[in-house]
Amino acid sequence: MKRKRDRLEVIYDILKIIRHYNNSIKPTPLLRYSNLSSQSFSEYISELLDKGFIKEIIDEKGRKFFTLTDKGFEYLEKYKLIIGFIDEFEL
Amino acid sequence: MPPFHLIDPTRLAVELVYTLIVVFLCFTIYYKTREIFGLTKHDGIKYFRITFLFFGLAYISRFISVLLKLMVVTFDIYFPIHIFGIFPLLFIGYFSTMAILSLTYSILWKKLHIKHTFLLFNVIAVLISGIAFFSRSPSILILAQAVLLIFTSIIIAHYIFSNSRKISRLYILYILFFLFWIVNLIALGPRRLLPIEIQTVFQVISIAVIGIIYYKVAKWT
Repeated sequence: MKRKRDRLEVIYDILKIIRHYNNSIKPTPLLRYSNLSSQSFSEYISELLDKGFIKEIIDEKGRKFFTLTDKGFEYLEKYKLIIGFIDEFEL
Repeated sequence: MPPFHLIDPTRLAVELVYTLIVVFLCFTIYYKTREIFGLTKHDGIKYFRITFLFFGLAYISRFISVLLKLMVVTFDIYFPIHIFGIFPLLFIGYFSTMAILSLTYSILWKKLHIKHTFLLFNVIAVLISGIAFFSRSPSILILAQAVLLIFTSIIIAHYIFSNSRKISRLYILYILFFLFWIVNLIALGPRRLLPIEIQTVFQVISIAVIGIIYYKVAKWT
């Protein structure tokens, strides 16, 4: 059985997917690749928008995309350090 | 015959250097974890870092208390120690209780899920510092904190043991950190309680313990 991902890991996975797709992905494929329920996905996206990790871009045809902000890239860069720190101090 | 109350520059210097090193390490740990907390808003990191903010403040309050005591005996000046001497006790009690509870909760937060955690910690801290303040006795504070430390150590041990079936090095480090804090409080009590030489040895070891925690933090930040 697969173990349940924790909050920080889910955030990492979502940001990684966005970066993988040239830092621009529509909500539907992002939901599919992130392997979350629609409700959880909406909650995570709201959290990421609130925290300024991602931003919404609407193109001239009215299509919505998500892209990473500098803070989002920073999170991806620092993720291993963050997890290392949490493990080190059993937080 | 020398006067009865002689200045003890060695003790003052030892206390000053010790406080500066510990406060520097505590505040640096707090500062260095700012970025990863900002990125994650992780509850464990939050309580871990405020532990060191509160311990830093507790060590400053403790130094002020020791300084006041030394000033009275050294300069033989009239100083209403029974009034001003108990104020640092109030802050020591509050800051150190907050620190102990925060460090404990940083490990247990995933299991405990306490509502209004910060408010509850404040109530306990105000209660303990209030007892120390109104009793005007460092001994009561030492006793109250010792009881709190035994209680929290048992809870942490139970949690860690039920998870990994072995006591981790981190647990030993935290217990030592707590123990040395109690030893530091003893310095506020009657002078005969702990000779300065033994106290200095404990202070050197406690710097090493905080130094190890600092090193572990610096590795990841």
